Amino acid sequence: MLSAAGFAKTWKYIELFKEGLVCTVSLSALTVLFGFFLALFLAVFRLSDINVFRFLSRESQWRLREKGGFVYAASRFNPVSFLATVYVEIFRATPMLVQLFFIYYVLFAGVELPSFKLFGFIRFDRFVPGVVALALNSGAYLCEIIRAGIQSIDGGQTEAARSLGLSQWQNMRFVVLPQAVKNILPAIANEFVTIIKESSICYTIGVQEIMYAVASTKGATYRIAEPLVIATVIYFCLTFPTSKIIAYFERRMSRGDKR
Amino acid sequence: MATRDNIIQVKDLKKHYNQGKIKALDGVTVDIQRGDVMVVIGPSGSGKSTFLRSLNLLEEPTGGSIHFGGMDITKKKSKDANGNLVKVNINLHRQKMGMVFQHFNLFPHMTILDNMTLAPVQVKGMKKDEAEEKAKHLLERVGLGDRANAYPIQLSGGQKQRIAIVRALMMEPEVMLFDEPTSALDPEMVGEVLEVMKELARGGMTMVVVTHEMGFAREVGNRVLFMDHGQLLEQGTPAEIFDHPQHPRLHDFLSKVL
Repeated sequence: MLSAAGFAKTWKYIELFKEGLVCTVSLSALTVLFGFFLALFLAVFRLSDINVFRFLSRESQWRLREKGGFVYAASRFNPVSFLATVYVEIFRATPMLVQLFFIYYVLFAGVELPSFKLFGFIRFDRFVPGVVALALNSGAYLCEIIRAGIQSIDGGQTEAARSLGLSQWQNMRFVVLPQAVKNILPAIANEFVTIIKESSICYTIGVQEIMYAVASTKGATYRIAEPLVIATVIYFCLTFPTSKIIAYFERRMSRGDKR
Repeated sequence: MATRDNIIQVKDLKKHYNQGKIKALDGVTVDIQRGDVMVVIGPSGSGKSTFLRSLNLLEEPTGGSIHFGGMDITKKKSKDANGNLVKVNINLHRQKMGMVFQHFNLFPHMTILDNMTLAPVQVKGMKKDEAEEKAKHLLERVGLGDRANAYPIQLSGGQKQRIAIVRALMMEPEVMLFDEPTSALDPEMVGEVLEVMKELARGGMTMVVVTHEMGFAREVGNRVLFMDHGQLLEQGTPAEIFDHPQHPRLHDFLSKVL
C-alpha cells in the first residue's frame, strides 16, 4: 500500500514523470492538431455530393431522374463519401490497441525513422507511430462530431448565404462552420480530454509518456501504488483545466445566442 | 413590348418528384419585366414558393428554362449575349438576385453590420470600410441606424426582416425575390416590413413577391399571378385578378381569403 517511504523512493525518479508529462502533452497536442484536420476532411467528404449524376448535362439528369430505377440509383453513388464512411466505421469499431499495434508493428515496420531524441529524451521512432495511430483514431470520432455539427445548422443559413452569391466554400467558411464549431465545442472538448487519457496506451509501444514513467519506476523501486498516485494527479491536472479552458471559450463564443 | 425589357424569362418550368408522380411545378411560363412588382398568390402547396426559389436555383427545376441576363441559368452551359457557349456560374447570377426569406435567415453569429458586409466584401471584393459605410447608410434608410452592432437575437421579427432586405440590397441586385416575407411576423410588425417593400417598389426595383397580403398585392403590385397545383392559372393586373377573376379556382380562393 501507500507509504511515506514508498513516496520517498518514487520521488527519486520524478524526473521520469516530468519527461512523461512533456511527452504526453506533445503527443496529445499533435494528435489533436492532426486528428482535427483529418476529421474536417473526412466530414466534408462524408457530406460531399460527388457522383456520376452531377457531371451529366442538365437534360440528361432530368431524363435519368424521370426514368428512375437502378441506373439512377447507381449514378447517385458517391465513392468519396463511401470511402470516408468505411474509414470511420472501421476505426470506431476496432480496439485502439489493435490499431496502435497494427500501425507500429505492420505499417511502420518497413519505415526507417531517424532515431534521434525529441527534447533529448523522447524517442522519435516510437513517438511518430504513436501520434499517427492516435490521430487516425481520434480523426474518426471527431469526424462524426463535426458532421453532426454541420448538419445541425439550419438549411436556411446556407440558402441565405448562397442567395447572396457566396460560393459553397465561402458558405462553409464564414457561415456554417463558425456556427457548427460553436455547437460542438463541448463534444470536441470531451474528445480532447479523451485523447490525453487515451495517449497512455502508447506506453505499450515504448513511447515515454506518463504510464511509461510509472512502469520504469515500478521496475526500479518495486513500488506500484505511489507511482500510480503521481500519474493520477498529473493526468487530473492536465484534463481538468483543459475542460475548464474550453468551457470559457464556449461562453465567449455564445455572444450571439443570448444577451 | 420589346423583349429587351424582359429581365427574367421563364419557359415551361417543371419540378417533378418521385419520377413525375408529384408535380410541384408543372410547366410555368412567364416573363418578368424590368420594374415589375409581380405578386404571386395561391393556396399553400400550390408551388408558388417553389417557383420563386427556382428563379435563383435554390430549388433545382427538372425541366424548362429560365433566361436571366441573356443566359439560360438552368443549364450548365448557355449561350451568352454574344452567342458564345459559356459555363453558367450560378453564384454570379445569384449576386444579381436578392432574396428575402420567410424566416429571415440572418447569420446569428455575426453583428448586423457583419451580416450586411459579408457578401460585398467576400464576393465582390469591396473594401471593408466602404462596405460598412454603405451598410450604415442603408440601415439609416430603414430606421435601424442605431442597431449596427447588435446581434440578430436582440432584434424583433420586423427589425430582422428589414435587416434581411437591406442585406440583400447591399449586393445591388437587379431583382428582389420575396418568399412570404411577412408570414412569420407578429401582426403589428407586418406594416413596417411592407413599408420598406413599398419604398423599394417606388424606387423602381424589380420585385417578385410571394405573399398572402392581398392588400399589398392590390396596392403595390402591377401584375398578379395566381398559381394552383404547380400551374399558373391566371395572371393580370390587380384590378383584373381581384375584381374580375375568371378561373373558378381563383374565385374560390379569393372568396376564402378576402
